[in-house]
Amino acid sequence: MSDEIFYATIRELGTRYRKREISPVEVTRALLSRIEKLDPLLHAFVTLTADRALEDARTAEAALRRGDENPLLGIPVAHKDIYLTRGIRTTGGSALFAEWIPDSDSTVVRRWQEAGTVLLGKLITHEFAFGLQFPGHKFPAARNPWNLDHIPGGSSSGSGAALAAGLVAGATGSDTGGSIRGPAAFCGIAGIKPTYGRSSRAGVMTLSWTLDHTGPMARTVEDCAFLLQAMAGHDPADPASSTVPVGDYLASLRRGASGLTIGVPRNYFFEGVDAEIERAFEEAMDTLRKLGAEVRDVRIPSLRGAMSFLLILMAEAYAYHERDLRERPELYGDVLRERLLAGALVSASEYTQAQRIRAEICAETAEVLRDVDMLATPTTPKPATPFTLAHDPEFAFPRSNMAPFNLTGLPTLALPCGFSSTGLPLSMQLSGRPFEESTVLRVGHAYEEATAWHTRRPPV
Amino acid sequence: MADPHELTLDELRQRIRAAGITIPENRLAMVCKLLGDALAPVRALDSRTIRTVEPAVKFVAEPKEGSRE
Repeated sequence: MSDEIFYATIRELGTRYRKREISPVEVTRALLSRIEKLDPLLHAFVTLTADRALEDARTAEAALRRGDENPLLGIPVAHKDIYLTRGIRTTGGSALFAEWIPDSDSTVVRRWQEAGTVLLGKLITHEFAFGLQFPGHKFPAARNPWNLDHIPGGSSSGSGAALAAGLVAGATGSDTGGSIRGPAAFCGIAGIKPTYGRSSRAGVMTLSWTLDHTGPMARTVEDCAFLLQAMAGHDPADPASSTVPVGDYLASLRRGASGLTIGVPRNYFFEGVDAEIERAFEEAMDTLRKLGAEVRDVRIPSLRGAMSFLLILMAEAYAYHERDLRERPELYGDVLRERLLAGALVSASEYTQAQRIRAEICAETAEVLRDVDMLATPTTPKPATPFTLAHDPEFAFPRSNMAPFNLTGLPTLALPCGFSSTGLPLSMQLSGRPFEESTVLRVGHAYEEATAWHTRRPPV
Repeated sequence: MADPHELTLDELRQRIRAAGITIPENRLAMVCKLLGDALAPVRALDSRTIRTVEPAVKFVAEPKEGSRE
């Protein structure tokens, strides 16, 4: 079997399955061998479910023989290890839950299972989706396939690493301040944080109730569309779940970027951005102009208060972890424990003011999105961080280009737009109006079709 | 002169005492930086200037409805 199969898209896999050129069981066996070979370097998986994967693959084969047309049949996936999986341990990347085996699936896990995916295993997450594992932690941190000395981003670190290394075709991520888009950016893949309420959080460990989003990660925008289609939709088990009807993401994908107006907020998002990233971003805007979009500058002054997201996150995360922090603090990783405890130091008034700043940012952004169809920004100010820096306890929580879209809840897609001179991926993000996932996916797909960044492979 | 909005180690220690938690001495600088960064926008805010803004977040399908009134 050619190595190209490890990087096949969901559409390619489905086509080859239906032509009987290859079978889900063959692909699953090949991927399990590849994981066995590469994961000791990458540490992307925290639990491998080989038996379950082969069982899923055989079930998918039978469905294919019956003529089932679900596009996710036999597609090999893995879940970030904060998604609860029935009968499979779910660690949250933490010693607290090192051996916990849930008795139910999260809604998204169940929906992907019903769509016929093959579950290869669980992917390491930063501890409780917040804290990078430091040396000596119960679970080793995932490494970036583009350069093992760099982090793959977080907190969906295993998801980013596994996709970039061709170990899975799709993965779940969660995004509270950029945890889908950051790893997508650092690993040279795509990931979409849907609108708040679009994809269920039921059965997914909480970091911050009002900022948490679930979403898919994949190697192409079209793959993200396939995966999001299967996970989006109302879920009564999630109090924030929306009843807004789900669009047909695949149908609108071919409509291109022509006729759309893209706003580039020139304040906030370009502060401290590396010159290479700025150059790659401007080239991406030129490409979108050539594809028929109008690109123009906009301003969202209230974004000066965007770091209020961190205050909201800290207060809510402390509320979630308070009991364990008091009773079993030794089970939390170093540095994460203190970061979580810092949430106890936020006053009620400060939390409320942070939410008011957030409301102002939401209102101003909505105002701008009356004039433009979407926003484009660099996903991160810098490429992947080296471990030597990330493992410095004094390393400050970085100013985030992604957090404004957790505050506003807007659908935001991250996708590759270049490479640094050191060979690390660079990324831009496209943000749409509430529940207009179709628009960002459509423009992202048009950009991807016009460029080749997503076809580059890491050296692993 | 020190920035009046900046979180000092003394203030951090007071907050830790008030919250009844323990943070090791060698992590105080890290926590001070983290909390200080998070507090910066709130401390720079004159709450009277956004008097009409309520701390509610609402997401709607129509961008028109999400705009400021």
